[in-house]
Amino acid sequence: MERTVLIIEDEKLIIVSTQMVLEAAGFRVESAVNGEEGIQKAKSTRPDLVLLDIMMPGIDGWETLTRLKRDPETSGIPVIVFTAREHARGHQKSTEMGAADYFRKPFEPDELIELVEKHIGQSV
Amino acid sequence: MNAAVIADSECSASARSLVDDRPRTDLGAIQDGVLMVDAHGVVALVNAAAEELLEISTIATLGRTLGELAAGELLAAVRAELALAAPRRSGAHVVEVHRSVDQALLFVRVRVRPARDASGRIAGSFVSLRDVTAEHKVAERKNRYLSIVAHELRTPLTGIKTFSTMMAKGALGALSTPQASVVGSICEQVLRLEHQIDKLVHLGTLDSDEFAPDLAVFELCELIAQSMRAFEKAATDRGIELRADLCATATPVRADRAQIRRALQALVENSVKFSRDGGHVVVSSTIRDDRSVEITVADDGAGIDPRYHARIFEKFFQVEDPLTRHHGGSGLGLFFVKSIVEAHGSVVRVDSRLGGGSKFSFALRLADDAPSEHTPSGAGGLPG
Repeated sequence: MERTVLIIEDEKLIIVSTQMVLEAAGFRVESAVNGEEGIQKAKSTRPDLVLLDIMMPGIDGWETLTRLKRDPETSGIPVIVFTAREHARGHQKSTEMGAADYFRKPFEPDELIELVEKHIGQSV
Repeated sequence: MNAAVIADSECSASARSLVDDRPRTDLGAIQDGVLMVDAHGVVALVNAAAEELLEISTIATLGRTLGELAAGELLAAVRAELALAAPRRSGAHVVEVHRSVDQALLFVRVRVRPARDASGRIAGSFVSLRDVTAEHKVAERKNRYLSIVAHELRTPLTGIKTFSTMMAKGALGALSTPQASVVGSICEQVLRLEHQIDKLVHLGTLDSDEFAPDLAVFELCELIAQSMRAFEKAATDRGIELRADLCATATPVRADRAQIRRALQALVENSVKFSRDGGHVVVSSTIRDDRSVEITVADDGAGIDPRYHARIFEKFFQVEDPLTRHHGGSGLGLFFVKSIVEAHGSVVRVDSRLGGGSKFSFALRLADDAPSEHTPSGAGGLPG
């Protein structure tokens, strides 16, 4: 069965490149360019995993994560936080907020796939 | 306010025994706040700067314990610092407090030291207070700027790295030999840029809270294998055997994954760089009796003269003359390795001699043994 990953990320370049990596590994990819749209797509498409950026206009990744985890419709979807910025204790913070994992950009494509495979389908 | 005023009229009797035999200092002229309490916690001495910072008056303070004084957040922080420092009577922290009068946010460095009487016995504590708000704000702005710069550089780099890696893998179609060579070079240069950005950010945030390890449990051997991949091409191009000799059992550690990765990559990068063509680089992991895992990066390359062993971890130090050296680099790699490993409560060991290769090692405590506090020491203090 095809597994879907939702990328919530404001940088088109990151969406396109990440989508290329995921599709080459056999995943179906949905994307949203901000937190509000991401939450709506998470509800309508019920992805198997969410890749979530932190620095976004409008509601940022932390707020998006909070809302995804608060809503019973989306709270079970594993979320991997990925960020290009240094966040003091960002890994601890994201784990405490319910994220499945945290990793930094730029990433190695193979590692992204390993991480997605590790968490996908693991309802939290 | 001069020294005589401080020493003769603003000292309590208990303080006099502590200060009478010491060289008199003009405490009123010192910009830092200075406060002294005796062994019973009674305020024995206070200067003008301390009065202002603590929002107290000398008249109402001398001869009373700190606990008896009603004052602002800083006084409460001083009491906490004294309690924390009690066993050894020394310590220093920067505390964040609001000034009562206008609720302004201040950052104050509170330092506690033992006060000794004429016979050298500890008879109380000296507390010095320094308003570091301005420095803190500058550091905060610098860190924010660095973080934004890193974000702005890493974002396009993520696209370049992903596209070039996928091209190198043939995901966009087969490449001719020259095309594959060019794409391979792009991948290498992207990695180099990535490391430089990491170093820039690291250097800028070294003394700040941003550098405190971001602890999470992860599988160390998995990270070692991933960290080595980046150097496979550089090693292969020079006929160097880059091999992992990792323990078969699980090695979950509680550490900062990104920092440990940087440390591992700096060590592997150095070993490959200083290996002769056709040499060997081995990264190994061993579980020790004390439930820690030791990571070793060893090569049979040029080696390091033992007289430089202590200095190679210094910031910007390079054994080779920068003008005549054969190898590139900023002289920051081992400095970062040491900073990172020490922030995890461990030490880096070096075993090397000229012409005899080099071996660098450090240990991390296994996660099932690690305390759960989110502090550097929570990562496990290790003998190395």
